[in-house]
Amino acid sequence: MAYKPYNSFSIAQTQFDGAAKILGLDEATSDLLRNPMREYAFAIPIRMDDGKNCIFRGFRVQHNDARGPCKGGIRFHPQETQDTVRALSMWMTWKCAVVDLPLGGAKGGVICDPHNLSDHEQEQICRGWVRQMARNVGPNTDVPAPDVMTTPQHMLWMLDEFEGITGAKVPGFITGKPVGIGGSLGRTEATGYGVIFTVREALKDMNIRASNTTASVQGFGNVAQHAIRLYEQLGGTTVCVSCWDQKDRTSYAYHKADGIRIDELLSIADRFGGIDKTRAADLGYEILSGDDWLKQDVDILIPAALENQINEENVNDISARVKIIAEGANGPTTTGADAVLRARDLVVIPDFLANAGGVTCSYFEQVQSNMNYYWGKDEVLGKLDSKMTAAYLSVSEMVRKRKLYMRDAAYIIAVDRVARACRDRGWV
Amino acid sequence: MKPAGFGQQDVPFFNRSFFRSLVPITRIGNGELGGKARGLVLIRDMLASHFDAKNFPGIEVYVPKMVVLATDVFDAFMERNGLLETAFSDLADDHMAETFQRADLPTEILGDLRALAEEARTPLAIRSSSLLEDELFRPFAGVYETKMLPNNQPDVDTRFRKLVEAIKFVYASTYFNNAKSYIRATDRTSADEKMAIIIQEVVGRRHDERFYPDVSGVGRSYNFFPASGSTPKDGVVNLALGLGKTIVDGGASWIYTPARPRAPMPFNSVRDILKLTQLAFWAVNMGRPPAYNPIAETEYLIQADLAAASYDDTLSAVASTYVANRDRFLPGTAHSGPRAIDFAPLLAYGNIPFNEAIRELLSISEQALKDAVEIEFAMDLSDIAHVRLGFLQLRPMLVSEKEVEIRDEELATAGVLLASNRAIGNGTLDTIRDIVYVRPERFEARLTPRIAVELETVNRALLEKNRPYLLLGFGRWGSSDPWLGIPVEWGQISGAGVIVESTLPDMNVEPSQGAHFFHNLISFEVPYLCVAYDNTEGARTRKIDWDWLNFQPALTETNLLRHVCLEQPLLVKVDGRTGRGAVWRTQVAEENAHS
Repeated sequence: MAYKPYNSFSIAQTQFDGAAKILGLDEATSDLLRNPMREYAFAIPIRMDDGKNCIFRGFRVQHNDARGPCKGGIRFHPQETQDTVRALSMWMTWKCAVVDLPLGGAKGGVICDPHNLSDHEQEQICRGWVRQMARNVGPNTDVPAPDVMTTPQHMLWMLDEFEGITGAKVPGFITGKPVGIGGSLGRTEATGYGVIFTVREALKDMNIRASNTTASVQGFGNVAQHAIRLYEQLGGTTVCVSCWDQKDRTSYAYHKADGIRIDELLSIADRFGGIDKTRAADLGYEILSGDDWLKQDVDILIPAALENQINEENVNDISARVKIIAEGANGPTTTGADAVLRARDLVVIPDFLANAGGVTCSYFEQVQSNMNYYWGKDEVLGKLDSKMTAAYLSVSEMVRKRKLYMRDAAYIIAVDRVARACRDRGWV
Repeated sequence: MKPAGFGQQDVPFFNRSFFRSLVPITRIGNGELGGKARGLVLIRDMLASHFDAKNFPGIEVYVPKMVVLATDVFDAFMERNGLLETAFSDLADDHMAETFQRADLPTEILGDLRALAEEARTPLAIRSSSLLEDELFRPFAGVYETKMLPNNQPDVDTRFRKLVEAIKFVYASTYFNNAKSYIRATDRTSADEKMAIIIQEVVGRRHDERFYPDVSGVGRSYNFFPASGSTPKDGVVNLALGLGKTIVDGGASWIYTPARPRAPMPFNSVRDILKLTQLAFWAVNMGRPPAYNPIAETEYLIQADLAAASYDDTLSAVASTYVANRDRFLPGTAHSGPRAIDFAPLLAYGNIPFNEAIRELLSISEQALKDAVEIEFAMDLSDIAHVRLGFLQLRPMLVSEKEVEIRDEELATAGVLLASNRAIGNGTLDTIRDIVYVRPERFEARLTPRIAVELETVNRALLEKNRPYLLLGFGRWGSSDPWLGIPVEWGQISGAGVIVESTLPDMNVEPSQGAHFFHNLISFEVPYLCVAYDNTEGARTRKIDWDWLNFQPALTETNLLRHVCLEQPLLVKVDGRTGRGAVWRTQVAEENAHS
């Protein structure tokens, strides 16, 4: 795997250590939880379309399954690192635990670039991954899902291979399937909606109505689009959205003082959420530098794109008016920036709580698939609201009771739940 | 500045710990609350400021806990599901309902609904609260659907699902054919209508597989049919055992005047009392799940008989017993014998200041609305020392004050088509040329449902041409019991300008002033006359000139109905003060006027 200077796993372990210290975990429990329980690395030989044979490296890290089967995505990326995957698997454990899902955490993937692969080659990789991992994954052990550059189609190929190996129909093996072939209604919206459910509850804590607030969002992908839409339905106004411009190879922020029109922007955006700059200008949007999303004089910031977007260099650009930062992306705030934000009087809803709507809905898909009975959308989204709200309230209560920073409170709740499960099972 | 938790009319927003709080009314959404909900908010405020509970020891008057889905939720539901085109189409009611079932409720309310489903463990009534009802000051009585839910399924997912289905069903009823016809008669359109929804605890208690209140009632501060010795302003109250559906559907109920609670109803015999008082009651079905039918209003309702009430021990407070060896009815059920629901234990003994409370509620309601009023309520008598009276609805009544005189000589002329001393309304009408009547020679009680269907077609045609008509039939119009009258919904005859009920020897029933049909009669100011079929000597009412009517050429005619269109309009006069009314053939009336 390629070398990257930024070490996610170190960060994840540091975060864990902080929670462990507050909880007073013993050495054995700490040692168990700060490292993955199992790691698999394997070769996937593929016959390419041109007849050549290629060997792809696949992997799967299962961090902890004390609370239930592991859950986590499979990504295709040419520059993935082992440490990143370890960190992501650990964060999945905490994410499932903070929302109180009966699941553990895992992550995996294949080192490849699907842009350079035909559909047939991608299919072979998917099936090859399953052949290698079939003994160690399944609806009762480890349930994969889509992730970076994997799609519902990939999930279906994997499901088909798994069913061929096991000789049974097991739609609960994998999530992220298309609706109609085992997928769940509401999944597309779930992550974005989940972010806003937590924002809504945070506003209630502050006795502020959503209709009296404004927001600025980084990113215009799936998470951001649905977050903006639900926020608008609650009465809020999004005044700025930023996204990557593939042509100019930079990001821009699109601003409208009386509120962006989500359908209008969707009509001029590509499938990756890239907004057409020229057409946006024609529609009256002010075009700003991409980083300006952070500087807006709004009540709510929602980073919903990449990691490390709020860092030591720009954290002081955040307006004094901002009351809530809801981390729709994974790891958007660096440790250094987080330290600055702790000292300010605002609420940072940590990523593994704010964006847990996705994994929650994945869990719902898993449950529906295992029952082979699929719920209506009202039911899925109602349950999602209920689950996310309950999770937020637990964390919020911990913040109040122990006067903690929200990220710490969320970690403590999550780690404590996993630690208890390990102890109850007699592992430590 | 109002705190962030409150919306219009000081109705706080729903909080997910609602059922553990003392707040009786909350809202979800920022839109309008609709007529019914606004009435309940008014009741809440009225009870707090004007009702002194100390004067009525042993009775607690309250508004049952409720949540209102405001009209913006409806707007979002319609818009996001693209339902407007379907709504204004001619889709049949059941297909309309099914289409609405397939649509998704707005995401932003689902969590609150789910929390409600988790917390609420009593039966719920999902009631319409229409915007036009509020704007037009009309009751829209019986126009939209209400769904009762037992809410007793152990699994919260099922309770949530049923709640969602019920909400969608009530939304769909905004565009049912009956509702569209009704709205058309108000000169508005369905496009003007928006629907709020009330989700409210049902008053009552559970008896095995039935849940119902001991008493339901409708009280009016103005009585259109005062008995001798009473005045219209003494008011009138209908009482029934079980859910109020019995009353509002025009079923048999006990009627009394609050000024004289102990006066008996004018029944001529024991047999009449046993036959004509309430024999069945409605309850929420808490037992075996019925056949799945989310688009049926009565999916979770059951009708039970007096034997079931006896088994539940709910008759003792509401019934009297016929004691044969004394040849009289004695209040209560201490004796063996046939029961009649006459509410004598409640009204005659006066242990509970029930009637006094009703009078007070009518009085303060009139003061609040500055108009005659109608109230709906339900009571739980499980703790006789602490009776709970749930106040369910308040709406204004329209009572015309115009002076109309009908002289005796006018009633004796040859031009009289029909005349009555039991008429409702007040005023003069001289524009009606169409008469639609049930053919007396073909009428049979078993055919009343078919008559209703045929009438709907005729009504629609005349409504579209904006031709109000005189409607004449047998038995009680709008009765839910086809053996008591013609079971029409208001929307099926909404184009009628005058309604005439001709009684028959076995269909001679006092009009139910608590029924939805009656409400709409008053609200639309449609004159109503009750006429005896036979010209009985010394009777209070007069005959109908059937010979003249049958002699007129028919515009359309079926086996059961006849529609005639006159060259000259009829003259209709009703004197609301005396209850006299008559209809003349105009040409003859003019001759009489000049003679």
